Amino acid sequence: MPKVTINEKPIEVPAGTTILQAAERLGFTIPHYCYHPHLSIAGNCRMCLVEVEKAPKLQIACQTQVAEGMVVRTQSEKARQAVRATLEMELINHPIDCPVCDQAGECGLQDYYMKYGLHASRVRLSDKVRKRKVIDLGPLVVLDTERCILCSRCVRFTGEVTKTHEFQFFKRGDHTEIGTLDDQPLRNAYSGNVVDLCPVGALTSKDFRFKIRVWFLKTTPSVCPLCATGCNVWIDHHEREYATSDVTHSVGKAKGMPDVYIPGGGVYRLRPRRNDELNKSWICDEGRTGYKTLGAENRLVEALVKKNGKLTWSDYGEALDLLHQKFTEIKAKYGVEAIGGIASPQATNEEVYLFIKYFKEVIGTSLVDLRAGEAWKQIEAREDEILRRLDKNSNSRGAFLILNAIMKRSGKGSEEIIEAARNGKVKALVFQSHDWLTRYPDQAKLKEALSKVEFSAAFATHRIPELDLVHLILPQASYVEKDGSFANYEGRVQRIHKAFPAKGDARAGWQIMAALFKKAGRDLNLNSASDCFKMLVGEVPAFKGLTLAGLPGTGAVVPIK
Amino acid sequence: MSDKYPVDYKVKLVPEAKVHSTAILVGLSVTMKECVKTMFLGDAPTVQYPEQHRKYSERFRGVHILTQREDGSVKCVACMLCATACPAHCIHIEAGELPDKRIEKHPEIFEIELLRCVMCGLCVDACPEEALIMSADDEMSAYERADTVVAKVDLMQRLRIKGKALGYRPRYGDSEKKTEDKVLASGGTRDAGKHGEGG
Repeated sequence: MPKVTINEKPIEVPAGTTILQAAERLGFTIPHYCYHPHLSIAGNCRMCLVEVEKAPKLQIACQTQVAEGMVVRTQSEKARQAVRATLEMELINHPIDCPVCDQAGECGLQDYYMKYGLHASRVRLSDKVRKRKVIDLGPLVVLDTERCILCSRCVRFTGEVTKTHEFQFFKRGDHTEIGTLDDQPLRNAYSGNVVDLCPVGALTSKDFRFKIRVWFLKTTPSVCPLCATGCNVWIDHHEREYATSDVTHSVGKAKGMPDVYIPGGGVYRLRPRRNDELNKSWICDEGRTGYKTLGAENRLVEALVKKNGKLTWSDYGEALDLLHQKFTEIKAKYGVEAIGGIASPQATNEEVYLFIKYFKEVIGTSLVDLRAGEAWKQIEAREDEILRRLDKNSNSRGAFLILNAIMKRSGKGSEEIIEAARNGKVKALVFQSHDWLTRYPDQAKLKEALSKVEFSAAFATHRIPELDLVHLILPQASYVEKDGSFANYEGRVQRIHKAFPAKGDARAGWQIMAALFKKAGRDLNLNSASDCFKMLVGEVPAFKGLTLAGLPGTGAVVPIK
Repeated sequence: MSDKYPVDYKVKLVPEAKVHSTAILVGLSVTMKECVKTMFLGDAPTVQYPEQHRKYSERFRGVHILTQREDGSVKCVACMLCATACPAHCIHIEAGELPDKRIEKHPEIFEIELLRCVMCGLCVDACPEEALIMSADDEMSAYERADTVVAKVDLMQRLRIKGKALGYRPRYGDSEKKTEDKVLASGGTRDAGKHGEGG
């Protein structure tokens, strides 16, 4: 283990560590463009030049490995001058079109210019080499070759990670530009990552294009809920809750229009959050655009109760009362085994736990499950070699761990419950999410069961046609509007955070369940997702020793067998 | 009355008649002098509003103007720096894409809510394109709250409609002639939109 001194601070790092990585561990950020922790080292941008004692010239920190007794200075006048010179060179032909560039605010050129440059340009705007702008590269990416600094991150990404090799350098000298052959669109399922990779505004998002300036955004760490991998993401949402524009809002109000919501439910984009043990720095395109359903027109924000065969608006409290009352009635009339509960592999651990506990302890039924079809048998099955998995539920693993620990259930699972409902044995069905209804393989059978039962209820985030047969719908908060945890395919328990409050009457699943517990005379004193998690840990052995607040950033892997 | 503030009875009061006769004459002479000055010599401090308008300074911060390119399109590229600088959050911009790849971006909606605006001029300072400047127009009353939200077309027309001078703008001292002429020339070629509508 070589000992090195960086900016007068000693550190001991394993052999093979680069100066840049060692400096990062000491808290020094060395400016860089081409270096990326999850790509091979190119060493072509020359921004990370540092002074190494006894070396005749400045060295690049991203590729130079540390050696015993090395003395490095990153902020010496010589090093700073080199960075300034490199930056000036990068800016020679830069169009300085920051006012129209979406990268502005999170741009490597802007940041380092403010820190190291602050020089006046020596090149007149009219003398700059002009290149092609606004090149369409598929559904997610727009290319501007003029802004490119030729760091080759995107070239390496498509070569090393997706192995699709779309990007390449074309032409020579100051005419060099990045691009795809004949401007063909990117054809891989991870194309959006090149936008995050690009340190400047050369590759920008088509989806996010011109929607908002990044400095109006607030970001919240979360986990992508669209498959069993559970990639870590940043949710970028408007800094103001509800994301209504003051002006549009007041104009709308003055003209008698309802509240104006920004599309996407206030969420503007999802970006990958670095997790070296799971998704590295990537997410798939499906996950990246997954936020769009949050602001969809069919988003539920109010309770619906069936009156005269039609689902109509209901007061949230009254709907909850009705749900409790129906449970009591049916229990008294047909016994406990007439009520079946279908938990959701998309709900958080806390919600699944409370749901199952409610049916076991308050209702007393044994008919609780969450399996739909055969999909649950292959939680770990991959869709491709990078990230995506076939199981499109966010929390199958966690839900099963909880189901097995509390119900110790075997047999055919939900199949049995739906069958019993079809035969008239089960009189009431409750679904924890609307998605389960769409994922059940035998739709005809499900429809028959739903039309036979005396009462059915669902907690839903979206109004879908499958819900038409249900008697009562409670609006549920989506994953950006609640706290909680998901366990991914390998049992990695990861935390999701509430970005902003849910609209209308929508509540988090655990809040709905806690209210039902209270109505049944059992106040569990649950005030937060952490309280639920604490209770869960006491009853599910796999989660032993964890707390929601204490979960590490990379997640905690629990035993799944 | 307490002893704390005793009245000094030793002071001799001036006879009332003396006060009246002299003071009234002095007062009347002032009135008459001002009367002659304003009525006949034309030296009045007031102006006959609304027929007459006061001339404001070169840097008066009145209602905003969106300047235009030579072809009459809005110069603003929707960088939203004005909205960022605005302490009153009164500027609302929604950006859209232009087919012209050299410009790329323009505001599809540009609204300023004048009731919220504090007329500080920070938006003008922030603008990198000299697209947002201020006029010397101080008339912004409206019949409805919604009418106080001035949309893009109105901000582009404002000068033509009111025929007012320019106000606070970058380098108002030296190169104002150039900007002014440009705005007036292009502002005159476009049709006036109905106040409070459009986007």
